[in-house]
Amino acid sequence: MKITFLELEDNYAKVLFENTTPYFVNAIRRTLISDVPKLAIENVTIYDNTSALFDEIIAHRLGMIPLPTHLDLLVFREECSCNGKGCPNCTVHYTLSKEGSCTVYSGDLRPEDAMWAVKDKNIPIVKLLKDQRLILEAEAQLGTGKQHAKWQAVCGIGYKYYPVIEIDSEKCNLCNECVEICPRKVLEIKKKKLDVKNVEECILCKSCEEVCKRDAIKVKGDENRIIMQYETDGSLSAKEVLMEALKILHKKYDELEKKL
Amino acid sequence: MIIPVRCFTCGKVLGSLFEEYKKRVYIEGENPKKVLDDLKIRRYCCRRTIISHPVFVKGKEVKEPIDEAAQYE
Repeated sequence: MKITFLELEDNYAKVLFENTTPYFVNAIRRTLISDVPKLAIENVTIYDNTSALFDEIIAHRLGMIPLPTHLDLLVFREECSCNGKGCPNCTVHYTLSKEGSCTVYSGDLRPEDAMWAVKDKNIPIVKLLKDQRLILEAEAQLGTGKQHAKWQAVCGIGYKYYPVIEIDSEKCNLCNECVEICPRKVLEIKKKKLDVKNVEECILCKSCEEVCKRDAIKVKGDENRIIMQYETDGSLSAKEVLMEALKILHKKYDELEKKL
Repeated sequence: MIIPVRCFTCGKVLGSLFEEYKKRVYIEGENPKKVLDDLKIRRYCCRRTIISHPVFVKGKEVKEPIDEAAQYE
């Protein structure tokens, strides 16, 4: 199997898998969604909250803030040597204290160490009017998407077969109908010949096939080449998250092999 | 009302993007489509969450972007 990044940004990736099967890529997709651990706020102690929002809503909003995750420094609380009491190996503490009038942002969460500082500092949590106060302490711990969606590191993940567009230029009469109907503008007429501009953009909708009266165009998906797209919420980078998923999947296959 | 931290459907973080969207669309009068594309909000679930969020400028609800917002600013 060969993996190439077609597009790679900090929080977004488009990956091409070659010599593979849909079943295997789906296993990777499911691992990415439900098994990659990340950090999220789990316990919130509220000392003072005179804002317009209930304590629960504020705690819920805090839980969904993506926190930077250094997986080599943390372990799951259930597996930690502190027996689930909470220690520096499995817990990260944050404090927040603000008085109005102002908007409380995710950047106002003060971590115990600068490396845990929230990267996305502009998420509004609550608006405070004059004399309203918010003072709280939050504990973050590792979890997986299986437990709760706030621990899901990726979002908007999906894959498709690699599009293969076959054009029979003898049958084609350059009527331009397929070019117009294509929602992704994949086709073009160049030098009096129907041509494919960008195959990877094709979504296999087959509108061009339907509109062609002469059967000159055929769209197929190559099952052995798959394009996967995903975004991360910012707690892990797009590359890290895929590496981690492959590691976890590898471990699972090893376990299965041992038990057989 | 305050903007949801994440998209209801897919979980993308939108809270931090909305203030820029609000400023550019409702106060500076840019085309919403262009701003959404610039902010890399790709899926229609996230786009509807941003577009349909009610906007208040100086305490008054603004239903139509651009011109109406300008008179409260």
